[in-house]
Amino acid sequence: MKELWTMWKNTRMITMTALTAAIFAALLIPFKGIPIIPGITEFRPAQIIATTFPIFFGPAGAWGVAIGNLIGDFFGTLGPGSFFGFFGNLFEGYVIYKIWQALKKEPTIKSGGDLFHYVLAVILSGATCAMIIAWGLEVLGMFPFAVLGTIITLNNVIVPIFLGPPLILLLYPRIKKWDLIWTDVMDPEDISTVKSPTLGLALMWIGGLGGLIVGLLLSTGLYGAKLAGFGVGHTGTGVILGLIPFIVIFLASALAFPSKGE
Amino acid sequence: MNLYLYLDKDTIVHRLDPRAKILILICTFAIPLLNDHPLWVAGATLLILIYGMLARSLGNIARIKTILVLIFIFSSLMWFVFAKGTTPLFWRVTRESVMYGLATGLKIDAMIIAGLIFLSTTKNEEITQGLIKLGLPFAVAFVFSTALRLVPTFVGAGATVSQAMRSRGLDIDSGSFLERIKKYVPLLVPIFLSSIRNTDSLAMALESKGFGNSPRRTFYLQLKWQPFDTLFLVFFVVLTILNAWAKINGFTSISGLIK
Repeated sequence: MKELWTMWKNTRMITMTALTAAIFAALLIPFKGIPIIPGITEFRPAQIIATTFPIFFGPAGAWGVAIGNLIGDFFGTLGPGSFFGFFGNLFEGYVIYKIWQALKKEPTIKSGGDLFHYVLAVILSGATCAMIIAWGLEVLGMFPFAVLGTIITLNNVIVPIFLGPPLILLLYPRIKKWDLIWTDVMDPEDISTVKSPTLGLALMWIGGLGGLIVGLLLSTGLYGAKLAGFGVGHTGTGVILGLIPFIVIFLASALAFPSKGE
Repeated sequence: MNLYLYLDKDTIVHRLDPRAKILILICTFAIPLLNDHPLWVAGATLLILIYGMLARSLGNIARIKTILVLIFIFSSLMWFVFAKGTTPLFWRVTRESVMYGLATGLKIDAMIIAGLIFLSTTKNEEITQGLIKLGLPFAVAFVFSTALRLVPTFVGAGATVSQAMRSRGLDIDSGSFLERIKKYVPLLVPIFLSSIRNTDSLAMALESKGFGNSPRRTFYLQLKWQPFDTLFLVFFVVLTILNAWAKINGFTSISGLIK
């Protein structure tokens, strides 16, 4: 996680963050008029940026989508949910670039294996973002986890899975040629090295997707539902406390990606 | 192209220091959140609307009235089903869940209105400067303000590219929803690439002007804290504390609501 902080001393990373934020917000704003959950989320093809730019720009992409999401909220939906939206989108970008870094992959899609990894990364990042935002709004008592968790995940996953790969293929050669891939821009000393990729990825999956699934089970009551019966789920405390261990596990995954000297 | 919500008016709220407005914004988010009972939330909403009247920004609120009504209906209906209470009405709906649903719908509207008042009365550069003065690192504030400034440029560029492609015969309007979205990808690529290509020039321009060179910076926009900033802020902080006290003592809750 070290690079999330050290990137702020690199001017090119800072400008890449600003550009990502502006592009993300510019794509969000026209779709504010197509709400899925009024006041909270709308149809968001802009999520394609959240899953492609962090692959190229690493932490600058992750901060960029977080700030861009906040700017998008400035066009009518600014509220306490914007705080959790900021962190949800930050970690969505973080998961994407960290997976790519852990797999030691070139930031493009050249084979079926790359496409498979991209789809998995999009699912995990979308689920992590959904878990954070839905948990946060459950803490504030604004929306039930079951409703937000599902909708945000689908919103984060569907468009990027279909449109992300062609966009990556179109952008990668130029970005590579201009030496703007984040690992080329940042000083290697400022980037965390991946020492235990398997452990790190496992913790990310347990924390991110596991958290979302457990949250949905708790919120809908499916874990105790009778056959063909309507489960009686939890709102409030049950979901809030039940998800804290998963958030801790997700954050602990960063320890499996330690930086040099850590 | 002006996409922003800022209204250039001379009101007491416009004249408040951005730091005071940011802190008041946090209070206006906290006050509705601290209440569960619809009557208390209605009181909090009324307070925010009076603040909006002082800011003469109710026009912006009227612009999104349909969205506010939709938010209220959607949030209320959802909590009618999801919240639980002890006095059944029908199916899963209880008297307490209805009260909680109405309160939550109103609460979300109140917070969106509070956000809208803030944006209607505070310029982008004031927001940035206020955040810096409140301790946000300059680099982060720089990203925020640069991105805010670039958004209309990119939205405008998108519209220009799509019109240019339409004039060359590209049919963006036919096909299924996903097909139409797919047609936008080739339109977006030139916009993305031209902006990404500017990254280097922007970084060089910044470095040539000594960006990040000195930890102490001076700013063109100077903020000045006035006595009425203190007065407004104290009023909202006291209200927040009173609401927190009322919540702790259970005055603002709905009896019989199971959380």
